[in-house]
Amino acid sequence: MAVVLLPAILAAEAGGKNRFDLDARTVGEALQSLPIADRLFDERGELRRLVNVYVDGVDVRDRGGLGCPLDGVETVRLVGAIAGG
Amino acid sequence: MSMLTSIGTRKGLFLLRGDEERRDWKLEGPLLTGWEVFHALLDPRDGALYACTNSFVYGPTVHRSADLGATWTRAEELGLPGDGEATLEKTWHVEPGRPDEPGRLWLGGAPGVLFRSDDSGESWEAVQGVLQHPTREQWQPGAGGMCCHSIQLAPDASERMYIGISAAGVFRTEDGGESWTPANKGTAADFQPDNFPEVGQCVHKLLLHPERPDRLWQQNHCGVYRSDDRGESWERLEGNGLPSGFGFPLALHPRDPDRAYVVPEVDAENRVTSDGRLGVYTTRDAGASWELSSRGLPEQAWAAVMREGFAFDRLDPFGLYLGTQSGSVFVSADEGENWQEAASQLPPILSVEVAEWQ
Repeated sequence: MAVVLLPAILAAEAGGKNRFDLDARTVGEALQSLPIADRLFDERGELRRLVNVYVDGVDVRDRGGLGCPLDGVETVRLVGAIAGG
Repeated sequence: MSMLTSIGTRKGLFLLRGDEERRDWKLEGPLLTGWEVFHALLDPRDGALYACTNSFVYGPTVHRSADLGATWTRAEELGLPGDGEATLEKTWHVEPGRPDEPGRLWLGGAPGVLFRSDDSGESWEAVQGVLQHPTREQWQPGAGGMCCHSIQLAPDASERMYIGISAAGVFRTEDGGESWTPANKGTAADFQPDNFPEVGQCVHKLLLHPERPDRLWQQNHCGVYRSDDRGESWERLEGNGLPSGFGFPLALHPRDPDRAYVVPEVDAENRVTSDGRLGVYTTRDAGASWELSSRGLPEQAWAAVMREGFAFDRLDPFGLYLGTQSGSVFVSADEGENWQEAASQLPPILSVEVAEWQ
């Protein structure tokens, strides 16, 4: 079981809920089960380019990608890329 | 009767509520915070609000509210078919279906795509006749992407409609969207080696006159045009009072097919309002001549009005609504004679629509 934390814009899309306790085989499967999965993944199933996923403080790209096992993970934090105006 | 003006901005949606006098407005919002609202309107058939919402991180979608913005739901199925390379980049324009088609909506987006929904925006299906159009390889994106921004339904022919895509041009269907014919004859593409190609024109906004539906108007990258034959041919109309043929927004008189309204910009390389002022230019003779209508608009302004930033109502006298990139909304309750600032200091305005609603 891991805690997935959402930024405000996605929490608003999830009925105001910014924290989900999820059990899944991988980080990717946990994210796919969120009610806002369509905002994280495009219609090809690819993680949107500017969505960052931090697994216990480490970029998921440095933990083998979305196939990273969820077992032993405490927190998955979703963060939009820092850009824009 | 009350008036509801929906203002799509770079940073959420605002609503202006007023009455038939259209003098005093109450501002609500921002709604849909965090989203860029490219276009939003109230569906006159059931009072639902729809918004084309885009996030540079979380992608494009469409939101719907059945309670005038208090709560929102997001489209559940929206994207390009899985067998292609492209993904949906932006949602640009939502258009309600005909009065006898409850639940049907049309959605324009980038890259040059049209969707249809038959369940009030829960799920959207890409229109294959546009997605697989035989001329698609000749289409090019404009500065805002390859956006399908104009969708017009002919009120006198249930299977006829028009779309405008920048920079692909105008297309007409006579079979409800199955097949699409380019309708660009006479419109220029000065940025191409062939100035009058079959497709590739940069239409900025396309409108059909509701009382004379064979008549179309378009503000194009390369001029202002009118067609009296369902887009079979176009006549270029600028000069004779119009300081520039370049601009984005377009509005029509709801009853007089000879009257149209544009907001010219200097040119494609200097996209600010002409002559250092915010001016609406009006024709009363189908584009033969134009005159400035600016009483109440800023006399010193280098403003910009986006393609969706101009709307008109159906009252008598009818009203015009203008939103600027500088965050001001100007309203004329007397057909463009006099203007009043109804809101200011909003985020950059992308779209303005108005509806009569209880």
